[in-house]
Amino acid sequence: MANEPETRYDEDPELTRLLRERLPRHPAPGSLRVAIVEAITPAPRPRWDWLWLAPSLVGAALAMVAVIGVATMLPVTVPGDPIQQIARAVVTEHARTLTWGGEQGVDVLPAALPRAMEESGLFVTKLFTGDDDLSLVSAAPTFVEQHRAISLGYMGRDGHAVTYVVMPGGTVTLPEVGRVQIESWRPLVRRESGFSLIMWKERKSNLLCALVADLVSDDDMTRLKQYFVKVRSATELSRTY
Amino acid sequence: MDPVGVDEDFRRQALTHLDALHNLAVYLTRNGSEAQDLVQETYVRAMRFSHRFQPGTHLRAWLFQILRNTFLTFYRLREREPALSEDGVPESGSPMFHDAPDRGGEQTEVGTDLERALARLPEEFRTPLLLAEIEGMPLEEVAHVMDCPVGTVKSRIFRAKERLRLYLKDYDQKTTNG
Repeated sequence: MANEPETRYDEDPELTRLLRERLPRHPAPGSLRVAIVEAITPAPRPRWDWLWLAPSLVGAALAMVAVIGVATMLPVTVPGDPIQQIARAVVTEHARTLTWGGEQGVDVLPAALPRAMEESGLFVTKLFTGDDDLSLVSAAPTFVEQHRAISLGYMGRDGHAVTYVVMPGGTVTLPEVGRVQIESWRPLVRRESGFSLIMWKERKSNLLCALVADLVSDDDMTRLKQYFVKVRSATELSRTY
Repeated sequence: MDPVGVDEDFRRQALTHLDALHNLAVYLTRNGSEAQDLVQETYVRAMRFSHRFQPGTHLRAWLFQILRNTFLTFYRLREREPALSEDGVPESGSPMFHDAPDRGGEQTEVGTDLERALARLPEEFRTPLLLAEIEGMPLEEVAHVMDCPVGTVKSRIFRAKERLRLYLKDYDQKTTNG
């Protein structure tokens, strides 16, 4: 109808009057007015000082989830495992020796050994002082798990340091799990914090002994077992009091 | 809808035309609830596209244009509008809305005939007639609403009145004969 011809605008006053007077008007109901006003009126803006609440709550929730998630991934430690605690303490002693250097030399060692025995309360009746593969380089008193102990340092021919720690055995019992048969002995072999340990207990003197070194590969472990045999067979300690 | 950013004065002025928009919506949809939906949708769209309104132009015509376009888009597609015959006139009368205000006596009867006759007009005739004669809108604004030249508006109003007279005479004769 866009191209329909322009016609005169009919001024029919009678029909116009009829339309304006007789045709009912339909004003908007009040409910519609309210609905429209609500629809087109923006909601009052939240006060800015409350805006931190939502992101803070989200952040706290995320942090809680993260903590729970990380906690489940952490290594589970049995709080009452004395062997593990001792193993870690022995490794710490070995690391201390490596860090500060325990090599005392042949002229100092004879004097150091009596002092170590005196301060540790352990008496060395027989001691492996070394051979072509392994040499005793130091002797010092120390503390392991709140017990006086003696720390004997050896140096392998290939440069690996080996620490031999002896302490009172107390009531500690070595578990069967992890025991390895080495010649006539069955010591406990385990890895702790990247180091290898061989632990055993002298029944007669009730001393707990540990040999620790950074010998972790299979070949190195074989060598550590050989060192164990040397030390175990040629050393004898007792408690002086 | 995003009413945020719409000028408060714009909102207030738009609401002053609510009654007029609802009145036209009733005559377009012939259904009370649909008329309300149409008007509400009109305002929602007006707020959403308020940035397109040019200040200084006729807000009333702009709102009526939105209402009519919304009606044509949604309601006519639903074939609420009666099919047109070849000459642009509905084939048959449509049922009237029954929620018109009761004015009593003769006025109600005349009003009913008038409404019935008005409903028989095609939307292209009915809307310009209502805008010009009922709302008193200048022809230029009606042309803006209808998106056609002023001459076309005059032609449609003329033809609308012509048909109204015909239908009313027809009703009058039926009443007399009956």
